[in-house]
Amino acid sequence: MAARWLVLLCLLSQSLVFAAHSFENTAIVRTVELGGSLVHVTTTYAVKSLEAGSQKYVIALGEKEGKSTSYLEAKLKGQNDALVVEGHALDPKDGAYHYTVGLPKPLAVNATVNLVLDTVQTHVTYPWPEQASQKEEQSLKYESDLFVLSPYKTATQRIKIRAPSPRIISHTTPEIPDNFATDSIATKSGATVTYGPFTNIPASANADFIGQHQKHVVVHYLYEYPVVEVTTLERTAEISHWGANLNIENSLNLHNAGPKLKGQFSRLDHQSQMFYNRLAPHVLPALTLHLPPGVHSTYFYDLNGNVSTSRFRPAPSVPKASQSNQYSLLELRPRYPLMGGWNYSFTFGWDSPLADSAAYDKNTGKYIVGVPVQTHVAGSIVDEAKIKIIFPEGATDIEIFPPFAPLSQELSTHITYLDTTGRPAVTFKYENLTDKHVGTIYVTYKVPLLAHLQKPKAVAIALLSLFTFAFASRRVDYRLTKS
Amino acid sequence: MDSPSAMDYPAAKLLHKSLPPFSPLVPVALLPYIAFLLLTATFGLAFYFSTLPKDKLPAREAAVALTASALGGFGVVALFCTVGVYV
Repeated sequence: MAARWLVLLCLLSQSLVFAAHSFENTAIVRTVELGGSLVHVTTTYAVKSLEAGSQKYVIALGEKEGKSTSYLEAKLKGQNDALVVEGHALDPKDGAYHYTVGLPKPLAVNATVNLVLDTVQTHVTYPWPEQASQKEEQSLKYESDLFVLSPYKTATQRIKIRAPSPRIISHTTPEIPDNFATDSIATKSGATVTYGPFTNIPASANADFIGQHQKHVVVHYLYEYPVVEVTTLERTAEISHWGANLNIENSLNLHNAGPKLKGQFSRLDHQSQMFYNRLAPHVLPALTLHLPPGVHSTYFYDLNGNVSTSRFRPAPSVPKASQSNQYSLLELRPRYPLMGGWNYSFTFGWDSPLADSAAYDKNTGKYIVGVPVQTHVAGSIVDEAKIKIIFPEGATDIEIFPPFAPLSQELSTHITYLDTTGRPAVTFKYENLTDKHVGTIYVTYKVPLLAHLQKPKAVAIALLSLFTFAFASRRVDYRLTKS
Repeated sequence: MDSPSAMDYPAAKLLHKSLPPFSPLVPVALLPYIAFLLLTATFGLAFYFSTLPKDKLPAREAAVALTASALGGFGVVALFCTVGVYV
């Protein structure tokens, strides 16, 4: 069954005696794609099995690396199915994070397999120099440990760091002891800095190797796009059965994580840059968001009120769960351009027909709705996200299926227009969401027919009380004099 | 609420894709007209209620009040949906 396995990160904190079988890495190649706030790392392990029947391969990440990794997926090279990965807590003795990958088939002796590990690192780049004026360029520094750690021996290892443009200001050339080094330690060609190849590296996922041999590298590169960080995101999805509508509202705190603005903001400089279409790379004047097709009635406001500098280009509705690439476009222009270090908080939202996101099973009476986790702002990282899904009044048997495990989830009651008993709501909390975290949360629930009538009943009772008051009041004599 | 009884994420995704899409009890395009009709009826009945004689046994008044309230209940919900407050 070509099932897609979930990446499970259950943290087991017992001390680790690996039931791992023996392997040997014939080659490890790591490619680091530098970005603004996100760094994508792809590590390919060419693995040779030394024992028959080995099926659990252990991947190690250094302490700093493991802490900054917010997405991890392991696959066999050339295949699409993610393998089951089990994460373990940081081992203080080793100083490394270990992940056990379950290979789909046990390997015979001397069998080889190619494992591809995709990770996304967050908060590993910082602007340098830390301040830049409105007219200056933006450059970032990426710091990382050099060697790829592994609990097995590695025959050869190479690390490639690829910057988004060939303008790399500097990169460190560490001193490598002779037993690992070959003739080239660090070479820069175009936009890529290649470290290695390094040969005959022993089992490195332990404190000895890390203490003695691990090197630190820093790449200083120019970055031509604004570094966007969403410090908090609150998404609320409200399901309405009477209106057949799914309303999604997002409250964002946007932060420009580039170099802080040096000096005062000059409107004159900004206007002249806009006129010649040559904005400094760290200035964020507008955001372009891709919304699902079929949405309508978008709104964009902040604390001061409605922000009219936006443009919505709708796309026609597509059937539920279709794989089409259609999207509606929402261009938002905040009230002021975001210079380095500046923040902007705003709310935007839309309505969409419920048929585009929800399905109904007549036999079981279950409704199932898919709510996307985030509308990703290109290249950004979301530090904290809270996603709240509000069900119709009287929903029961609520089941939730998040695409990746949340930090916490809780049930609450949300009260809004025409509610009597309130609507059940589920709140998910996430941390460090990247461009890989764009899944859909599926929820199922049941609403009996009588619960649908709760709102008209509530309004009817209110009107009836008015009629009762009128009935009583007609029978009272309000005349001032008896004549 | 909590972990699914028998389903996991891929099963939920497949279920979402395969089931027929949601369709409301009352088609959404009709809601403005339904709101108008029901609220006019409610208003008319309320006016009629005010003209009824004051009987000892208020059967007529009760009947008119009940129908007006019921129609008004649905009419207000339809009105809310028409103006964009999807209740």
